[in-house]
Amino acid sequence: MIQVFTLSPGVTLRCHTDRRFRQGCLSFQLVRPMDGKEAAMNALLPAVLLRGSARYPDLRHITLRLDDLYGASVGTMVRRVGDYQTTGLYCGFMEDRFALEGDRILLPMLDFLRELLLNPALEGNAFRREYVRSEKKNLISAIESERNDKRVYAGSRLLKNMCKADSFGIPRLGETEWTAKITPSALYRHYRRILRESRTELFYVGSADPEGIARALQTRLAEIDRCYVNLPAQTPFHDAGGSSETEEMETSQSQLCLGFTTSITNQSPQFAAMQVFNTLFGAGMTSKLFLNVREKLSLCYSIGSGYYGAKGILTVSAGIDAAQEERTRTEILRQLQACQTGDITPEELTAAREAVLASLRTIHDSPGAIEGYYATAALSGAERTPEVYRAQVEAVTAEDVIAAAATVKPHSDFFLKGVGA
Amino acid sequence: MNGHFYRALDETLYTGRLKNGLTVKVVPRPGFTRKTAYLVTDYGSIHQDFLLEGRQYHTPAGIAHFLEHKMFELPGRDVSAEFAALGANVNAFTSYDMTAYYFSCTDRFEENLRLLLEFVSTPYFPEESVRREVGIIEQEIAMYEDSPDRVYESLMSAMYREHPIRVPILGTRESIREITTELLKVCHRAFYTPANMILCVVGDADPEEVARIAGQVLGDEEKPAGVKLRPWREDMTCQGDPEHGRMELSMPCFQLGFKCEDPGTGEASVRQEVIGDLAAEALFGESSRLYLELYEQGLIDSSFGGGFDSADGCALLTCGGDSDHAEAVRDAVLARAAVLAAEGIPPEDFLRMKRSALGRRIRDLDSFDSTCFRLCAYHLSGFDYFRFPSVYAAVTEAEIREFLGRVARKERCALSVIDPM
Repeated sequence: MIQVFTLSPGVTLRCHTDRRFRQGCLSFQLVRPMDGKEAAMNALLPAVLLRGSARYPDLRHITLRLDDLYGASVGTMVRRVGDYQTTGLYCGFMEDRFALEGDRILLPMLDFLRELLLNPALEGNAFRREYVRSEKKNLISAIESERNDKRVYAGSRLLKNMCKADSFGIPRLGETEWTAKITPSALYRHYRRILRESRTELFYVGSADPEGIARALQTRLAEIDRCYVNLPAQTPFHDAGGSSETEEMETSQSQLCLGFTTSITNQSPQFAAMQVFNTLFGAGMTSKLFLNVREKLSLCYSIGSGYYGAKGILTVSAGIDAAQEERTRTEILRQLQACQTGDITPEELTAAREAVLASLRTIHDSPGAIEGYYATAALSGAERTPEVYRAQVEAVTAEDVIAAAATVKPHSDFFLKGVGA
Repeated sequence: MNGHFYRALDETLYTGRLKNGLTVKVVPRPGFTRKTAYLVTDYGSIHQDFLLEGRQYHTPAGIAHFLEHKMFELPGRDVSAEFAALGANVNAFTSYDMTAYYFSCTDRFEENLRLLLEFVSTPYFPEESVRREVGIIEQEIAMYEDSPDRVYESLMSAMYREHPIRVPILGTRESIREITTELLKVCHRAFYTPANMILCVVGDADPEEVARIAGQVLGDEEKPAGVKLRPWREDMTCQGDPEHGRMELSMPCFQLGFKCEDPGTGEASVRQEVIGDLAAEALFGESSRLYLELYEQGLIDSSFGGGFDSADGCALLTCGGDSDHAEAVRDAVLARAAVLAAEGIPPEDFLRMKRSALGRRIRDLDSFDSTCFRLCAYHLSGFDYFRFPSVYAAVTEAEIREFLGRVARKERCALSVIDPM
């Protein structure tokens, strides 16, 4: 289904040919080790590239070009995949067959991507000062705006506390102080270096012939003077011990976040069982947490759990009234214990398994989901096709779920205490 | 069910009206595993006043949303759990003028469809569970109070004197306490009758079969819907800006709104919407001169965006995002609108804008949810959504100029700002 091409050392193109969609997509990612020394630079770089190139010197010229290409879009893409951080661009564009007679979108789009990636607007041997200055400001406000969503803020504080010794605790976009220190020339040097050295992943979904896409991209990227440096492998969780923290904030609602660890990661044979357990325990409207903490006790509106397979971390968060902290915590732990002691009905198991399966089955129904699944799987160190993974999920039994639940151990908690707005 | 092929979109749409008055629309998508169904009632948070069976009702704010929450219960059964067992993902939302229930699945589509029709048509609101819901929705309100999205609600209440769009969709802590089992039943009887609803399916489904199932579950009898009362009178002026709000935020955020005439229904209303959208693009869209200027001056960042919004009986042009200088953004928008209204848009730019807007709409058809939602929403406005290319073709530059000259004026505008603590 996926055709893989090596365009040059360390540069891989994956193509998923599909004629059902009205739009295609192409992603370009440089893969970096997640590291405080460069995380902010990697987050800043695509935003600066999208400010202007030699031929399209400012935002307006760029967006006018995108308008010409029937409302195509190019966005920054900064992902975390385990110990890696990726930085790059994501393009979405209408399929050629919907354009007016004679108009082409795909090939001009590849030219445009090349221009943005390889021909940035410069001042001497650096990016344009003004672009770097204002994108630094934007990045800092993006980093700080995490605070605006209390649930996200509390969740990331918990992860940071849990992962003091692990790359997983480094924020995806870096920290404000790291961003503030970046200079236009240092960023340009970094850009030149990572373009040459990094593992590079391109992913195309659309109707075009993959060989043709490979040739077109190979020509357009040929001028990069590659000197590939191998990427270190993904590592397991580096645990530096747990913590318990409360922070007060002037909000109406409080956020209770509990962090757990498990020995099961996305590399483990029990990964499917762990995902089914997480769904049964805390994901969606049929989970134990939703049905008990919300529906039965009406302690909250939002509650859910998340499982980070890269590191074997499980988190639960709930938006509650400050006075209900103990009651909510007790109930969450009680529901976990119920899973561990086997208090699981066949209906719960079926519902959880079906939910995981449905999300796997629908991956092939949207270009964005296809890109997201395969491009991430290729980097995670646990490459499974959705089909293989589906078979594993289908085979999960109640005993498997109980065994997975039994590996879950409390680690840390973070309470964002609302003291009235 | 009557089928029609839309060449420009490469789509086929089947439409029919059942004996009971339900409108059914099916877009077959062979080759996809995912199937999505929306069951939508023409009833939202603003429809607090209505006539039913000779009696006039004024219902508490937030009741449409409360009703949506409570629909998920059937006697002795948990609807979400049943969907989950059938491998479907079910959810719902309430907007100002509609309430939608929807699911996506890959298998057992017909069983899921039956369940959707059954639970939405069955009023079952035990006292005890209505009381419990108050606690849950109070936490939803608290979550909203802590979210910067409330800048929009504060704008609505400042812009509108009488139109109930000024009242939050969720209602208030006080108003939801007035909601009773009896009132919920009345609202259900008034607006959940098939003649007031539409069912839309996108996916590899048989249109005749969908219509047959809907007729079977809902019965053949056509019952009259409640008569919505629209007791509000609104002129086109605003009464000044609301006081700045304050909350835990990383930087100030704002929403700017301009009152527009009620677009009414039918093709004329859709034409108004397209004019409004294109005017928004020309005025402050990403490829506009103003966007570039404001971005380069640091007055806006990539969080900035806007467009044309409408609900039953009202419409507005809005834009907003994060900014330290919201007043300066407003002044620049007003000044630029005056220039555009006087000078117009060059023909080449106008064509490019249209091409871009059309391309984005076509790309959007890849989303099952968005396609279902738009087919329903446009149907409620009396328009067949798949005819949008012809509306784009017909709209003229003179209409955009006239719109901007009429709407983007000081006396029609209000600015809502939230400052950090």
